[in-house]
Amino acid sequence: MAELAHRLDRVFNPRSVAVVGDKQEMGYMWLRGLHEFQGRVYSVQVDERELPGIEALGVKNYTSLLDVPDEIDYVIVAVPRAVAPRIVQDCIEKKVGGAMFFTSGFAETDTEEGIRLQQVITGMAREGGLNLIGPNCVGIFNPRIGLKHAVDQYSGDGGRVGFISQSGTHATFFSMVGMANGIRVSKSVSYGNAVVLDSADYLEYLGQDEQTEVIGIYVEGLRKGRQFFTTLHDVARRKPVLIWKGGRTEAGARATASHTGSLAESPAIWDAAIRQCGAIRANDLDEMIDTVKALLYVKPTTGDRVGLIAMTGGQSVVVTDAFATQGLSVPLLTQRSYDQFASFFSVIGSSYRNPLDISSNLQSVELIVRMLDILNADENIDAVVLEISVMFLTRLTWVSPTFFDDLIEALALYQARSQKPFLTVLVPAHAEREAIEARQRLIDKGIPSFASFERGAKALRKVVEYHRLHSS
Amino acid sequence: MTTAEIIGAAKKEGREYLTEVESKQILKEAGIAVTEIRLARSREEAAAFAKEIGMPVVLKIVSPDVLHKTDAGGVKLGLGSEQEVGKAYDDILASVKKHYPNAAIEGVAVQSMARPGTEVIIGMSKDPQFGPVLMFGLGGILVEVLKDVSFRIVPLTKRDAREMIKEIKGYPLLEGYRGQEPANVPQLEELLLKVSDFVEKTPDIKELDINPLFAYSDGAVAVDARVILEGNS
Repeated sequence: MAELAHRLDRVFNPRSVAVVGDKQEMGYMWLRGLHEFQGRVYSVQVDERELPGIEALGVKNYTSLLDVPDEIDYVIVAVPRAVAPRIVQDCIEKKVGGAMFFTSGFAETDTEEGIRLQQVITGMAREGGLNLIGPNCVGIFNPRIGLKHAVDQYSGDGGRVGFISQSGTHATFFSMVGMANGIRVSKSVSYGNAVVLDSADYLEYLGQDEQTEVIGIYVEGLRKGRQFFTTLHDVARRKPVLIWKGGRTEAGARATASHTGSLAESPAIWDAAIRQCGAIRANDLDEMIDTVKALLYVKPTTGDRVGLIAMTGGQSVVVTDAFATQGLSVPLLTQRSYDQFASFFSVIGSSYRNPLDISSNLQSVELIVRMLDILNADENIDAVVLEISVMFLTRLTWVSPTFFDDLIEALALYQARSQKPFLTVLVPAHAEREAIEARQRLIDKGIPSFASFERGAKALRKVVEYHRLHSS
Repeated sequence: MTTAEIIGAAKKEGREYLTEVESKQILKEAGIAVTEIRLARSREEAAAFAKEIGMPVVLKIVSPDVLHKTDAGGVKLGLGSEQEVGKAYDDILASVKKHYPNAAIEGVAVQSMARPGTEVIIGMSKDPQFGPVLMFGLGGILVEVLKDVSFRIVPLTKRDAREMIKEIKGYPLLEGYRGQEPANVPQLEELLLKVSDFVEKTPDIKELDINPLFAYSDGAVAVDARVILEGNS
């Protein structure tokens, strides 16, 4: 590609990192977090008492960033706030690719000193052209090069989903919860108070990043609102962008003020912006994860007619309510489908009208697949949903020890030959531990599962709306 | 006078608002139909304007100090002759002077009576983050009590205009509920696009309020409008 490199390329893909101010008190969390980093790592620390601990990690320490005999692409700053201006100055002089400030205690504290210091570092960074990330954040996660903001994040294979988060916790959670749901991050950033670089800048970067196909955003407030709107308009045309706005209530907005110093925003105006730009709204981490999962694993559709298979009668009622409540339709099937069901389906204690209650027919994987194929061929149906009861999985193992293995294999084959969207709902009920394992085994085979009917229905509705909006 | 001239003159006077007459004038220039309105400064002028506009007309006090025009006897409706207009002019001045003895009075607006239609409101305000935002809703109780309004950030596309009208819960009323005259929705869409275009080109406007706009099956007309200007800085 002959495209000009983006000004954030260097900081998102560093080959050298310096950590300023890591210490024992923090368990050297920043240096530890770099143990899988594929580039060069340096430490900057003036406190002699910290040097043995840093050296024990095998990292060379310098007493000034300016003394490091290497170009530095990315700086992690964890110094006390009073020292922050001095480090900003060093970063500018050193011409680093960018610096993230874990340091907090600025405008979000609503104190005179905090506000003053924030103004000082903002002014310096802007004037010096420093790509300052934060302050009050955990910076960049790029798993492909082992750059993390939390030790427990993964490294190695990167994914296709970018995440931009004003909160460090949500950035970390998205990567970790996403991992358990078959979602891997391409690049993510936590950006805190956003004094220099704001969500709009990161969105622009991930918008042009070829490794990023889907973008999630957790945002509390904007500093460059107009730029965000136009960038979102542009990027959402090319890739799905999901927005989770924190602080939607008055009390919540008070929390965002002391978290990242963000101003309150009307939720109605945010909804308008999201809608206008063709982005997708998510209200919490679950919705974010579910919708991204549906975008990645459920075949695209603009149709809203679902065929529902539940394992018991009670669930057949609840699954139908859940999907209908989301505005999806649960139509009757064609006569052809009914004729086919009549040839093998035992109706004692079961039903196949749609929803299907397959209680007395579920002992055989072959029968389940047959039902899926009928729904797949039915012209009244756009998408197929299968409930997998964790409780029954255990019981069915008594009938056939390989039941679940056989089911997963069969579902993967079904999904491969079907053109219609397919998703499963795995309700944990009392068997949460078993559900975690079952969910992992399904997603490892590319089969998306959702933890409740409502969550599955919402995710499907959101992707249907998304594809409708972008196909017209 | 052009929009720029009207705004310029108001600013020169140190005003941060436009009168109804001025507001309607700039809307008219933006291609939005408004009820005819003239500012009369004498009884004779009022009668002459009424004749010119076509009766029946409405007379309204024009004063920055009179906040509740109706309560102060500052509004007279359905005036069908020059005599009635003349008498109404005098009555309004007398009544307003009684209620607001110190009010600065610019005159009395003579306005054509719009035939009743579905009441709609269109507003623009500036969001600290996103800039100019348009609001659309049905007038009266629906907006005041139920807050049944929709928003879009300027500039609007055709799709935005269509969606923001359909989005309100009261939308069936615009389609002509129970034999009521339906509103012309495509024309309302056009109107929203005109307002969007207008506020985008006129950054001096801080707030705009068209309330009510009467929507008919063959068009719509702005019956009242007010504009707040950005402060002089």
